[in-house]
Amino acid sequence: MNDILLEIKDLHAGIEGREILKGVNLTIRRGEVHAVMGPNGAGKSTLSAVLAGRADYTVTAGSATYCGRDLLALPPEERSWAGIFLSFQYPVEIPGVSITNFMKAAIGARRKAQGLPELKPAEFLKLLKDKMALVQMKGEFAKREVNVGFSGGEKKRNEIFQMAMLEPTLSILDETDSGLDVDALRIVADGVNRLRTPESATIVITHYQRLLEYIVPDVVHVLKDGRIVRTGGRELVDLIENQGYDGIEG
Amino acid sequence: MTASKDKEVIVVGRDPMPAVLHLGAGESLHLTLIVPEGTSCEKALEIHLDGPGASLDLAGAWRCTSSERVRLQVIVRHNAPGCHSEQLFKGVVSGSAKAEFDGLVYVAPGAMKTVAHQQAHSLLLSEGAFCEARPQLEIYADDVECSHGATTGYLNPEELFYMRSRGIPEAEARAMQVEAFLAPVLNRTV
Repeated sequence: MNDILLEIKDLHAGIEGREILKGVNLTIRRGEVHAVMGPNGAGKSTLSAVLAGRADYTVTAGSATYCGRDLLALPPEERSWAGIFLSFQYPVEIPGVSITNFMKAAIGARRKAQGLPELKPAEFLKLLKDKMALVQMKGEFAKREVNVGFSGGEKKRNEIFQMAMLEPTLSILDETDSGLDVDALRIVADGVNRLRTPESATIVITHYQRLLEYIVPDVVHVLKDGRIVRTGGRELVDLIENQGYDGIEG
Repeated sequence: MTASKDKEVIVVGRDPMPAVLHLGAGESLHLTLIVPEGTSCEKALEIHLDGPGASLDLAGAWRCTSSERVRLQVIVRHNAPGCHSEQLFKGVVSGSAKAEFDGLVYVAPGAMKTVAHQQAHSLLLSEGAFCEARPQLEIYADDVECSHGATTGYLNPEELFYMRSRGIPEAEARAMQVEAFLAPVLNRTV
């Protein structure tokens, strides 16, 4: 089995005519956790948006190959079916749609795309309960409207809950630590760690080293001004902590 | 139709629609008007709150997806003191359909302690569609609590992307958003 999950080559992308990613190269193998760190404006969120398929971002050059497929040619829903999951920096509120119905639609569409039969109601409810327990969500959570009136911590736990439901092969966590107190951070990180498998990989996008104390990366990249300027091991996290991003050059 | 505590539903095009309703002292009416897909209509409804303490809970929804013409006029008259009216209207308009809503809340002289709220919200799904809501308040009494609001919105692309990123196909995501928009009215009928 080819253990390369995602290969990004010379990726250039931007928004509204402004180039933000200026030639990103990144190879992710199964079983790995990669951290992409960088200062504000480096292009971290653009990278996650392009990988998830946001229509307002334009790819001007380069490629992203996921499991041998041209990732950039797929609409967002097909990327999800193929096993990609983005945990949003700012999870979106969907008034009037309950978590249960949201997840039912998501799981149902994916199983249909995969040619699998629909889950029976009892099977779905059991899945829902098991995954809620993973992020310490209580019973009434499933009835709430998606992210409506959620605290910052609840929104991020809801992201990891959805991740658990969808069992992705490649998870991209975009600034998942922002707005979390230490207890919520621990719950979220614990959930992510328990979802790790030898077949799957995780990209942790973050400005701060804090989350990386809980989700320990195998590989660390520093993204600056649209390029990865440095790749290394965990020691890079300490280097950034001591010297700041100014001290890191390619 | 007589005013009662029962929840009434009128499906336009299927059920007869009264032109004028009167609520006496202490009477209440919970009424929901539905204009189903494919139905064109021009209807006017006037509801009088004639006795002290009468209350009205009125809602309506329309869903126009092709070339329907819907025109709805609702007049609520507070003729006695201490009456309460709540109104919520929601419409989804797409294709080349046209939907117009006129809502007048009238508070007569002497109808003190009136509470009247009216909301009209539209969701416009295509460039060829048209909708307009004209809410009006006419108040001739003091010591009343009245408000009205009207909005026209579009499907939120952020919501759409969020749903698609979880594997919900675009058409289904749009349908869920429309359903969620209409739910506060449609849930009254089940």
